[in-house]
Amino acid sequence: MVLRRDDWLDLARKVDWTYRYVDERDVFPEALSGRPWLTHEAWQGWSEVYRTTYREYVANQRSKDDAVQGVRSVLGKAHVNEGLDPGWVQLVKFHNGALALAEYAGAVAELRMARFGRDSAWRTMATLGALDEIRHTQIPLQLGHDLLSLDGNFDWTHRAYHTDEWVIIAARHLFDDMFLAADAIDTAIQLNFVFETGFSNLQFMAMAAMADAADHHLFEKALASIQTDEARHAQIGHPVVRTLLENGAKERAQHLIDKMFWRSWRLLIPLTGTAMEYLTPVGARTRSFKEFMQEWVVEQFMKNLAEFDLERPWFWDLFLDELDHAHHSFQLGLYAYRTTLWFDIASPDRVERDWLATKYPGWEATYGPHWDRIEDCWRTHGEAATLAQALPALCNLCQLPTLFVRPGRNTACTLQVGERNYLFCSDPCRWIFSQEPARFAGHHSLVDRIVLGEAPGKLTDLHRWMGLDAPVETGKDLRRGLDPWRLQPVPTVS
Amino acid sequence: MSTVRAYLFGFLDDDFFGRVVVVPTDQTVATLAAQLAAWGPTPERRGRVIVTDESGAVLDPAATVAEAGLVNGDIFTVTAGG
Repeated sequence: MVLRRDDWLDLARKVDWTYRYVDERDVFPEALSGRPWLTHEAWQGWSEVYRTTYREYVANQRSKDDAVQGVRSVLGKAHVNEGLDPGWVQLVKFHNGALALAEYAGAVAELRMARFGRDSAWRTMATLGALDEIRHTQIPLQLGHDLLSLDGNFDWTHRAYHTDEWVIIAARHLFDDMFLAADAIDTAIQLNFVFETGFSNLQFMAMAAMADAADHHLFEKALASIQTDEARHAQIGHPVVRTLLENGAKERAQHLIDKMFWRSWRLLIPLTGTAMEYLTPVGARTRSFKEFMQEWVVEQFMKNLAEFDLERPWFWDLFLDELDHAHHSFQLGLYAYRTTLWFDIASPDRVERDWLATKYPGWEATYGPHWDRIEDCWRTHGEAATLAQALPALCNLCQLPTLFVRPGRNTACTLQVGERNYLFCSDPCRWIFSQEPARFAGHHSLVDRIVLGEAPGKLTDLHRWMGLDAPVETGKDLRRGLDPWRLQPVPTVS
Repeated sequence: MSTVRAYLFGFLDDDFFGRVVVVPTDQTVATLAAQLAAWGPTPERRGRVIVTDESGAVLDPAATVAEAGLVNGDIFTVTAGG
């Protein structure tokens, strides 16, 4: 007689046993399993809401892959990307470069939990999570490969994380902190509970809705398919948080949540905020970035915190203030430094400006004059006058430019550690750094590397150092392209 | 005698992010402010400016960078008015 699923699943999920020849602390050392270190008795109640067998997993994944490949096949590989909006193409290039190999790193994180997670049900979920993340690497690599015929820079889907391009340094710094250089408990809370439950909905679900409206149906299908995996393995975080709270480690859980909430928000400002509102065609903008943030993060994630009687992060008021401004300020920065990116950047046209002013009532008064000025520079002096003339000050924690909350409200600050001053874009970044200075102080920002002579200060050399073949690969104004002067050879002293 | 330089982080009140400024420490605060303004969104801006350090203390425009107490990695802010 064949046992039915529910007759054997609980037994298969829970195969922990008592160690007789080795100490439990040696099997699950604190450095890799995490702190607080608790005996397995404390973890026995670990349970996921949606249980999956391996057979179900394989069948579901095959079905989901069939759906994605079916759309790719129906649309026809040769024509799959014809007719896409030029701004949307840049958004996909940005997304693919910033996330494809980060997903692969996510597989390593899941595998760490698959070995060092403290309960077998957790380890089983993480094993499936690792398979998920490999799939999430393969899908954008395939889509990026298809798009190579449209734009050679789609090789950044694979190449980005092998370079020292500054956006990638920032993303790598975040993901290293979030899960590659983290133990199993920290990974479960930072990656699964905060990033995947709180933020990846925005990048995948909201972006999928926009992809559908932008007629990029293959990208929409791929994002939605990925998000269903994320929703399953993200549930690893909840029982880990619960176990910490039941064992007197609320302060530790709150610290990890606050820290990773801020760090995730920092990355989403450029990755999601600027992409949604400056690269997505107006007709495809189902809602504003702020509206998505309010629904998916402010409301949904706060419900998760309330479920555990956890507090909202201490910097909440600053976060809310930034929702109206931060990505708009960042867009100006991306535009000024566009030659250091692997994708093109747009200045908003009249229709887009009207849309932004509708969604953000203060937008025209605050940002309109800056874009007017850039338009004047293009008319009177050409492209060169629209590019930044100095290095941006980079935060020593998030590695991103020290942007203002809004023009006139600057939150940059410093911290002296040893003989050196470190610069931060905000109090939360300084707070995160100050909690673990030994973890962060040795990392050199791009500006640090230039000052120390580890990276070239001359922009033309810096492009090469960052892996960008200028001017062919470097970012341009989306609608204008680049001035012929950038195609001229750089004069050298013989 | 070689010139000593300091790298500072400058912020203009009408800008949207900070910039790196590498200056000789014997340069005046007024020149430092002008250098930063030249890279900002309104380089033609003229008139009096107020330069403050991270604590908000107003720096004497005639003082040198060294005399104003600015060292590597310090923040300064340039605000129109005065």
